[in-house]
Amino acid sequence: MNTEELTALAVDKLVDARGTACPGPLLEAKKAIGTISSGQIMEVLSADEGTKRDIPKWANKKGHDYLGTVEESGYFKIYLKKG
Amino acid sequence: MKLNRNNIKDNIMENKKMTMALFSGSIDKLTGAGVVLSGAAADDMDVDVYVLLMGARAFIKVNENKIDGLSEYPELKDEFLKSLETLNVSTWIEFFEMAKELTNVKIHICSLAGKMWGGEKMEDFIDLADDICGIGEYITSAQEADVHLFI
Repeated sequence: MNTEELTALAVDKLVDARGTACPGPLLEAKKAIGTISSGQIMEVLSADEGTKRDIPKWANKKGHDYLGTVEESGYFKIYLKKG
Repeated sequence: MKLNRNNIKDNIMENKKMTMALFSGSIDKLTGAGVVLSGAAADDMDVDVYVLLMGARAFIKVNENKIDGLSEYPELKDEFLKSLETLNVSTWIEFFEMAKELTNVKIHICSLAGKMWGGEKMEDFIDLADDICGIGEYITSAQEADVHLFI
C-alpha cells in the first residue's frame, strides 16, 4: 500500500509508543493486538529505529498482515491488519 | 465453527521454547535479561528462567531495593541509570512482570543459589519466583529448548 492508501485507512486501534525505546513499542503492539478482532486495523506510532524493522517481522510471524510504514518527522506510523 | 487463521495457527504451531540461565544479579545484566524476555514474550515463547548463583540475590525479598551494582563499567553507573531514565526504559522487575503477563514465563530459583543469599523457602523470594529447583531440571530444560541463553 502506498502512503496515501495507508493514511486513508480507518484505524481501529491506535498505539502511540513514541515515548519508549525498544522493546517498549513491540510490547505495546503485542498487548494491543489482543484487544482487536481479526481483520481490524492497528496503527503503531514509534520513534525507535529497531521497532521499524521488528514490528513487520513480528506481524508476519504471528499471522497478521503488515500493510506498510509511513515516515513522519522524528517518528513513523506502522500499519497492521490483524490476522 | 469456521476455521480462521488463528485457529489454524493455534492448532498447528506449538510455541517455541526458550531456556535462560540467569547467573547474573547486577542491574545491567538483569535489565538486558528483561529486554530479551520481552522479545520472547512478544513472540509467544514459553520461557523457563533458571536463576543461578549471583542472580538469586536479586530475587530475595529483603534485597528488593539493594540491586544497584553494574557488572560492566561499574564506574559508569550514574550514566547508565540516567540513560535508562531518559529513554523511559522499564526497570528489570517491570520487564519480568510484563513478560509473565504476556506469555508463559516460569522463574525457577536454584536451591543452592537461594541458600547462598539466605533464601530457603518460597516466602523468602519476591513474587516473580515460581519455584525452587535443582540443576538437573535446568539441564533438561536447556536440552529441550529452541533457544538457550546464559546471562
